[in-house]
Order: sequence, then C-alpha cells, then structure tokens
Amino acid sequence: MTTGADHSVGKDFDFFGATAKVTNAMEEEHQRFNLQQQASRTVRAPVAQTYNTNYAYQPTPPAHRPARTGYEKYKEEPTELQIDASIWGVAPKKPVTPVAVSQPPATARKMMSLEEVEAAMRAEAKQAPPVSLPSQAQSQPLYHAREFQAAAEASPHSRQEKIDPIRQPIDGRHQRGFNTADYQQPAAQGITHGHPITILQRPSKHAPSTSGSVMPNPISQEQQTPPIAPTQILQNPNRSSSEGNRMGIPMHPIHKSQNSIPRGIPQQHQLSDLSEREKAAFVEAEARRAKRNHKIHLMSGNNGLMTPQDKSFITRIQLQQLVSATGDPSEQGNEAALAEDFYYQVLSSLRAGQRPNPNQPLNNFAQTYLFQTGTRRSGPRHHGPQNHVQRMEQQVQRAVEAAKNKPKNKQLVIEGSLGKISFSNAKTPKPLLNIKRTESGPETNRPASGQRTHPVSQGHNAKDTLRDIENVYLTLMKMEDLTRSMPPPNELNDQNVAEKQDEFNHLNEQLWNHLRVHEPISSTIVHPFISFMSYPKGKRAIPRVFRYLSPTQRTTILTMIVIHLDQLDVVRGAQVQTGEPISHDAATRERIELFSLAVMPSLFQLLNESDLDIVTGVLGLITQNLSVDLVARTRIGVSMLTLILSRAELIKQAGQASEQSWQQWVATFNLFFNILEPTLHNIFPGTVTSGEDIYVWQFLAAIGIGASPDEQQRLVFAVKDRVMGTVSMAKTLPPDMAKERLDNVNLFMRSIGLDVELLN
Amino acid sequence: MPDLTWTIGKRMAFFKTLIDHEVTVELKNDIQIRGTLKSVDQYLNIKLDDIQVVDELKYPHLSSVKNVFIRGSVVRYVHLPAAAVDVPLLEDATRREAANQAGKGK
Repeated sequence: MTTGADHSVGKDFDFFGATAKVTNAMEEEHQRFNLQQQASRTVRAPVAQTYNTNYAYQPTPPAHRPARTGYEKYKEEPTELQIDASIWGVAPKKPVTPVAVSQPPATARKMMSLEEVEAAMRAEAKQAPPVSLPSQAQSQPLYHAREFQAAAEASPHSRQEKIDPIRQPIDGRHQRGFNTADYQQPAAQGITHGHPITILQRPSKHAPSTSGSVMPNPISQEQQTPPIAPTQILQNPNRSSSEGNRMGIPMHPIHKSQNSIPRGIPQQHQLSDLSEREKAAFVEAEARRAKRNHKIHLMSGNNGLMTPQDKSFITRIQLQQLVSATGDPSEQGNEAALAEDFYYQVLSSLRAGQRPNPNQPLNNFAQTYLFQTGTRRSGPRHHGPQNHVQRMEQQVQRAVEAAKNKPKNKQLVIEGSLGKISFSNAKTPKPLLNIKRTESGPETNRPASGQRTHPVSQGHNAKDTLRDIENVYLTLMKMEDLTRSMPPPNELNDQNVAEKQDEFNHLNEQLWNHLRVHEPISSTIVHPFISFMSYPKGKRAIPRVFRYLSPTQRTTILTMIVIHLDQLDVVRGAQVQTGEPISHDAATRERIELFSLAVMPSLFQLLNESDLDIVTGVLGLITQNLSVDLVARTRIGVSMLTLILSRAELIKQAGQASEQSWQQWVATFNLFFNILEPTLHNIFPGTVTSGEDIYVWQFLAAIGIGASPDEQQRLVFAVKDRVMGTVSMAKTLPPDMAKERLDNVNLFMRSIGLDVELLN
Repeated sequence: MPDLTWTIGKRMAFFKTLIDHEVTVELKNDIQIRGTLKSVDQYLNIKLDDIQVVDELKYPHLSSVKNVFIRGSVVRYVHLPAAAVDVPLLEDATRREAANQAGKGK
C-alpha cells in the first residue's frame, strides 16, 4: 500500500491505478462484511449485550471517519434505496422527510438478514409490533459495530492517505451538482464490481431525527432490504456536514429523504400483501406436509409385504419396459451381451451357477470351463432363480446403453453455426485414423502364408502350430455359440434345426482341419498334431474338442496320440529310473500334470466307450511301433497302459467280448508282457522312500489281473525287491503313512491273489 | 498368448469380476497398496477398501488411511489374486474380442 502511494507521487492523474487498489480494498471489506453478517445471524440472540458494545465503540471510530468519508462518498453507490425513491416518485412525501428521515432503525434494518425479516414478520403476525421493533433496533447496532470494525481493520491509516488524491476530484464532483442522479452515476461507474455498499450511519448522529411515526414501517423496510444487497456506506457526520457547508445546501435532509421516506409508503402495501401471502403459503406447506405424513403412515401398514425378490422382479419388468421404450440397441439380448462382455458374463454365470442346488444341470459354460463332463445341456438357456440378479444387472446395463445411444446423431449442429461438433465417447472414440483393410480376412493378410494354398506338413513350424491352435479355439467358440443357440431337439422347426446342423457340420470339418490330425504320418518330422499337443493350450483344448467330434474322429485322435506316445513332450525325456530321484524340471512336471488333468480324462472316457477291438489295436500299436521300455518308464505312458489294460479287463468281466476278439487281446497282451518284462524293475520312480509310485502299483495291478499264472509269477519276481523294500520301509513310518504305502502295494498284491499281510 | 490388455481395457468387465477380492495395486511412484477392490470405472480408476501399504515403514503417512481412490493413470500394475482369474475363460474372451475387432475392421 505504502509503496503504491510512493509510486503515485507526482502522478495524481493516475486515478485508475489508485482506483483499482481502492476497489480491491473495497472488495476485501465486503467479503469481510458478508462473512460477519453470516456470523452475526447466529449470534443474534444475545442482542442486548451487543447493543451496549455498539454504542461503546462509537467514540473510537471518529479518528478514521474523515478519511473514509471522502473516499466512501466517491465509491458510494447510489444505494438502491435511492433508486427506489426515484422510481416511486415520492415527491409528495418529500415535505415529510425531515421528520421521518433516517432513523437508526431504518438504516440498520437495511442490513437485516432474511431470517430476521421473517422473524419480524412472524412477530407482527402475532400482533406484537412493539416487541419486534426493539429487537430489530438492538440487532442493527450490532451490525454497525461489526461492519465498522471490519472497515477499520481493512483500512489502515496508510490507505487513507493514499486515497486522498481520489477524494479531491470526488468532492469536486459533488460540488458541481449534488443531485441524486449525478451522484449515483459516477459511483456506479467507479465500483465496477457492483458490490453492494452498506451505509454506516452512525446512530448517534441520526438519533435525534428518529421519530415514532416511522415505527410501524420497519418491517416493510426490512422486507425491501434483503433483496437489495446489503449496501454499506460510511456516512460520517463530518463529511456530510462539510459537504453541506461547502454546497450551501441543506444536503442532509435531501439525502435522508431519499433514503428512508419514499420507502415508507409503498412498504405498507407490501407489508400487508406479503404477510398474507406468506401466511397462506405457510399454511399450505403445512397442510401438504401433514397430508404426506398421513399417506406415509397409511402405507406403512404394508411394509415388508414384498420380498426383495419380488421387488427385483418388478424392477426387472420396469426396466424391460424402459429398454423397449428406449429401443434396445443390442436386440440380441443375452448373445449381444456375451459378445460384448464375454468374460464377465460367463464368469458371473459360472459363479452364480455354483451356488444353486448341485443336481441342477450345469449350463454349457460350466461344461466348457469347469471341465465338467457328463450331462449335456438340457435347454438353450437355463436360468436358475439366482440368475435374476445378474439378468437384472444386464438389463440395467442395456438400459443405460440404450439411453446413451439415444442421441443417434453423432454430430451436433448448432443452429446458425458454420461447423459441426462431433461427439466421441469411450465406446466409439472419434476415429483419428481411418485405415481401410485391403483384404477381407486375417487369413489372407498373412504375407508369409500367402503363396501356398494348401499348407503342407513340411513347412509346419511353431508359428503355424500356434495359429492352428488359435483357429481351433475360434472354431470351438463358434461351435459352442451354435450349440447354445440350438433349439431343443424336440422342437418342430426342422428347417432351423437342419440349418444349424449344417453349420455345425461345417464347423466340425473346420475344426478337424485345424487339428491337423489327418496329415500324413512321417518318420522324420514331428506330426503337426503332436506339435499341437506340445503346447499347454493345445492340451487344454482337447476336452473341448472332444465334445464336438464324432466318435470316429475321437478314436482317430486316440490312435494318433498312442502312435506318437513316445514323441509326446510328456513322455519324451520324462523317463524315470528306479532308485534314482526324479529329475524332471518344473516345466516337464507342469506339462505332465496338465496332460493328466486335461487330456487323460478325455482319453479315459473314450476308451471306456470303445470295444475290445480298439483296445487291442491300441495296445498292439504300442507294442509293435513304440519302444515299450521308454513308454513304460514315464508316468503318462504307464497311465495310458493302465487305462488300456483295465479297460480290457472290464470288457471281459462285463462279458462284452467275443471269444475271437478276446483271443486276439490275450495274444497281444502276451506279446506286450514279454516286451515289458525287462523294464518292470525300472519303472518305479525314485527310491522306495519317495512315495510317488502309486500309479505304478496301479499299473502292476492292471497287469496282474489280466496275466496268466505264469506271467503273474514272473511279475512278482520282477518287482519283488520293490515290494519287500516298501513293506520294510513302511515299518519305520508312522502308522497312517505306513498304511498308505502298504495299501498301494496291496493294489498289486490283491490283483494276483496275495496280500501284504502274508509277507509279515 | 493373446493380448490380455485388449479385453481388460475395452470394458472393465474383467475387473468387475474381481470386485470384493483383494488386489495389490502398484502405483507409478512405487507405492504398493493392498486392499479390497470396491469399484473400477472406465478409466480404470480404482477404489480400494481396508487398504494396507505393502512397505508400510517407508510410507508411514499412509498407515492411517483406510480406503483410497486411485486415479487410473497413476497405476502401474494391479496384482491379481490368481484364484479369482479363470485363465482359459479369459483367453477365450480375448479371442472373441480380437475376432470382434477383426470383424469390425473389415
């Protein structure tokens, strides 16, 4: 501030700079004032005390006043009060002015808040004007005090000095013509921010002029004032008097008349009007509230009638209507939601499906993704009651989407504008690049595979295999979608069913091609299907693939796997050696685990549906084409053999085998046993203590059941060491573990009519 | 392996399935916050409840914070609970997404 003053030395003409500063100061004051006014509203109760203080402060301010007045006058906005006066053209009243002129209550009332006004009105409504009046009178001084203090704080002496230069011209202006109109205009211009100004009229000065005649009015004045922003003008007796002196005009009276008198008359009308209106409004509001409460009370008798399910059901109906009303963009409903949001939809349907009663057939998602085999899906869509929440969720989603898509026009053309505004949102971002694909499918987009029309196994590399796998998955998903949308078999629209069946067959063919099972078997190159199986996702695809293949195709796959058993990554390099710790790396272990989880069950199921000829054929393939030693020393190989042997035994026991085919089986088995025998003592993984040999005991049991007495003897001889070792080792183990081990051994022992107990 | 971000990014469908699971969010300023996922929006803004900062000694000022809203742009990684993610299904979803995209691109 002071620096500003320094700069302005010799620049008296620079009113603008100074004015800006002054404006700032004013603004500060006003903010302060507003804050304080709020505060004061809450403090209103203890009026009496504040009243005293108000008067107490009066002696102190005078020091500041002179400076303020000069500047304030300039700033002084033509208070609305004055404007009011002119509007009403209160000329006739003027004579009265000197009498009624600005009383402290009047001026004070200007600063009353709405609440005060209301309070006052209520008070009047109760026909106790005298009561209300004093309270106002009391509260007003309070404001005075606060405002004044604020002003004092905001304007230190330095500023007053700075302001002085401004004051001069203002005064001059006043002298020129101190009629209200003139007076107002410059002020309005000066205060750009249009801040309301409060006139601080010092009670002491005006007190004498207070008259009882105005008393009835106060309320109406207050009513007027609130809408009129609080206008604060620091009026100083000194100033006004000096001005009056200078001008030689009875300025004071005029000024006052403008302030208070004109208001007095119209106010009375308003007073009556407003109070009545207000009263009516109040009564009406009360009645409404009472009515509402009554209604709520009446309705509360029905509380709890609807279960949450009922509610959600109704909500669903409403939403459905909403969706149909707004026009569902995804007409396909569930399918569209699936396409949009596959992971979420399926996962939540799976999770929802886990809770209901276990007897309920799983939907086909569960079949696909929970690796459930068994019951085929019963209907196209099976919705349990638990699903309605989820369905609702979907519907909400669709409704929201519909609403979002409602403004179909992607552009906004404002009337009369030259350009368009195009929208973009998260779903359909504004395209920045528009690249047209030259070719239609991704197939033809591959430059590498462009030349060859029919992929030959020669050029089958890892990339091709991976692509095959992806294609298998894509086809699978199409088939799954198709199956889901397939109508129940008993439906009559043959046309539709036939079409779907055609499509299904077509997809099946595609799937079969992508599997590459049909490729010729060559001794030098790994078969594409075996490469296919070497990838985890290839393995994982098998159970899903099996569900969409014909029995013949499945058997072909089984044959393919068996023929290449020694080439499978889970067999090749996964051999164990009895007595040596298992040395598979983590990856191999994982592969084996995955294979036994994903592929073996499918093969097991397939074998269990096959008849003995196929089983014999499979065993023959292994015996003749493969190194039994290598196969039998792997877990997967052993499991496979176990499957084959046990299936044959089951067929025999069920009496399904013809004599001829059984003879064939026995022959093949004997051949197999002969080849296997030297390997037998090597097929145990790890040492006796490692305890990972249960699958071997199962295998031995499977052999033992089908073996001739002679073969059984040779079998026992081959594995005798291991049996004895396990039994003696079991004695050193805690009972439960020992029992487990012995039970494993007993699997085998019982199959050949022995028991571990006999060894003790 | 299909590009998983494709599916995750398009809609927060994937994250919706993780709501009420415990995740660890690693921010670009290296703070790791573990908490229960409460909501995710299209910007992958994340709301976590019952949070705990992984390296609490290093960021003591966060020890009294119970829940957070994380602006998506400051997230570096979200560590997911493996048990809550169905990988084959997610892969399939990704394939579908990719197929859809390819279909639209034509």
